Amino acid sequence: MRILCARYAHLGLVTALRRFPELRGEPVVVGGTPDLRLPVIAASPAAVAAGVREGMPLRQAQQLCTAAAFVPLDAEATASLRDEICAVLHRLAPAVEVSDAEALCDLSGSHAGYTDEGAWGVAVARALAVALDVEPPAVGIAGSRFVARLAAGQGRPGHIRRVRDGEETAFLAPLPLAALPVDPAITARLAGFGLDCLGAVAALSPGELQRQFGREGLEVHRLLRGEDGDGVHAPTAEQTWSERLVLASPVAQLEPLLQAARRCAIVLGDRLSDRSLAGGEVLVVFEVEEAEDVSAAAVPAAPTGNATETWTAVLSLLSELHPQSPVTAVRVELKRISSAAGRQADLLRPGDAARDSVAAAASRLSARFGETVARRPRLALDPGDLPERRFVWVPPVVAGARP
Amino acid sequence: MTDSLSSALATLRRRYGPEALRRGGVPEAAAVWPTGVPVLDGVLVPGGLPRGRLTLLAATARQGPSGRLSLLQALAATASRACDVGYVDLAGSLDPGFLADLGADLDACLVLTPGAGRWERGFVMARSLANAGLPWLAIALGCDQPPPASWEHALAALVEAVARHGAVCVIAAPAPPAAPLAYASSLTLACTAAGWQRAHGDVTGLRVRVATKKSKVHTPGAEAIVLLRYPRPYTVAEVVGLPTVVIPRPRADGAVALPQVVAAPG
Repeated sequence: MRILCARYAHLGLVTALRRFPELRGEPVVVGGTPDLRLPVIAASPAAVAAGVREGMPLRQAQQLCTAAAFVPLDAEATASLRDEICAVLHRLAPAVEVSDAEALCDLSGSHAGYTDEGAWGVAVARALAVALDVEPPAVGIAGSRFVARLAAGQGRPGHIRRVRDGEETAFLAPLPLAALPVDPAITARLAGFGLDCLGAVAALSPGELQRQFGREGLEVHRLLRGEDGDGVHAPTAEQTWSERLVLASPVAQLEPLLQAARRCAIVLGDRLSDRSLAGGEVLVVFEVEEAEDVSAAAVPAAPTGNATETWTAVLSLLSELHPQSPVTAVRVELKRISSAAGRQADLLRPGDAARDSVAAAASRLSARFGETVARRPRLALDPGDLPERRFVWVPPVVAGARP
Repeated sequence: MTDSLSSALATLRRRYGPEALRRGGVPEAAAVWPTGVPVLDGVLVPGGLPRGRLTLLAATARQGPSGRLSLLQALAATASRACDVGYVDLAGSLDPGFLADLGADLDACLVLTPGAGRWERGFVMARSLANAGLPWLAIALGCDQPPPASWEHALAALVEAVARHGAVCVIAAPAPPAAPLAYASSLTLACTAAGWQRAHGDVTGLRVRVATKKSKVHTPGAEAIVLLRYPRPYTVAEVVGLPTVVIPRPRADGAVALPQVVAAPG
């Protein structure tokens, strides 16, 4: 496994500097006005140089840096920027984890567009730098999450620090004990033993660490070997997404309703595609004037992962809806949203991302024209003598499809 | 430009609008899919087959082999090693074992069998796959040509889908190619059998003379011979084509130099 960790300025600070560009280069503290009893959420480098730290009270930050500008956190803009970064990274890596101050990408395997891991990492770093437009991120690439984080922390903004496989121990050796993400009591006890760096701790055997610290001792040993095995955690997706379109006036004709449903489906489908997610259930609701809503739901044969698939699922439901009164709004909901299992971004081979949609299209053709119309050949294990026995036909299968 | 010509052009533009007359420029550049066969990529088409366009492999003789289907299957096999391929078998002649012998990745091959002569259904299926994002489409047409009215609309829709998604679409058509096909193709390669390749008395391949009859992406007129080596049992699949020696042939007026094909060795 190879993991890229990019550390950048807090997204709250980035949105604040976008909103107030005249503050660039000035000491800025994000969190609110100093009279509020709230902690500092983010601070610019100038404010950090004055002693301001994340988490300290805003009043204390003002005492430390009297020249600082205090701005409130724009939660909506920050979330929007986080989503934007997530979408950018999903185009470059199959698994992505984005938080307000760092992003992790899974760089395992190879990318069709880049010759090696270094070029791939550079592409990710550049994409992040363009998306953030304040300060380029510091990037670390290593075989584990822990080492990649430390590598990014050791690097400078705009630089990539790569730790090759097998070099984790040498990289970690000179770092202080405080770099270990464990209970401070453990690091204090390790320091009490006279161990002053991670290299000294790594020299201990796992048995010795386990005897002293139990299960956490073994965890420390694994971390220092670069074997934490803790990959990239894709964010837990919302269970339901909804897109609602309120019509200018109540509509009874089919065509405007069709267009409204199509627009909702495309918006939802594009959002799914950007985040490599898929919806397991589709619901279409017609909100009717002075009457109960009319709705229809279905579980498509394969999870919908893009605009075309979502629209196809919605279209099949529209024929079931027969509103008795004019419709005032159209709502499309996607439920049971999860990672697009078995689907891969278009990374490893051109066309891979479209493979499921191609298989779904072939399934539709088979349903329309006959089962033997669209098939994939596969070489037979026991071909025999006849040419026609050299292969067998199998139906195209959509990854993640329910039997 | 003489004054009379300028005034005539001005009159025509004034009468029929500024778009009525345009200078013919260089052909519109198209993204290409390199076939990996030097003689195809270098001599016949610059860089490879165009993406987002229709490429037609047209037989020149009504009877006998032309090599178009073998060439189509060889190209599809090459493409399947890099991307997903859809093969619409309207000729009813596809042997997946032959594709495998040519080195195809069968997992990447999707074979559609709409039925012999059902061109409209075949083009509709191809369009569905192109719209779904399939990057490479091969369509093998048989000799039983239905009336154009039943399939030319489906062909037009396929052209539009291929252009929108930038797919490579190669159609092998019997002689003479139907007029809508000839019109819709951006690149027409005429295939003529130039003799069997023999070794120790056995047929080991087919020489195919390929000529660029029509090209919207490059100057037509180039001509070359490719050798389609038939796969043999217990041997590694052969490279698709064999480039021949191409010598520039000066014409009498010296204006345009077209390549001259010299027979391949062996």
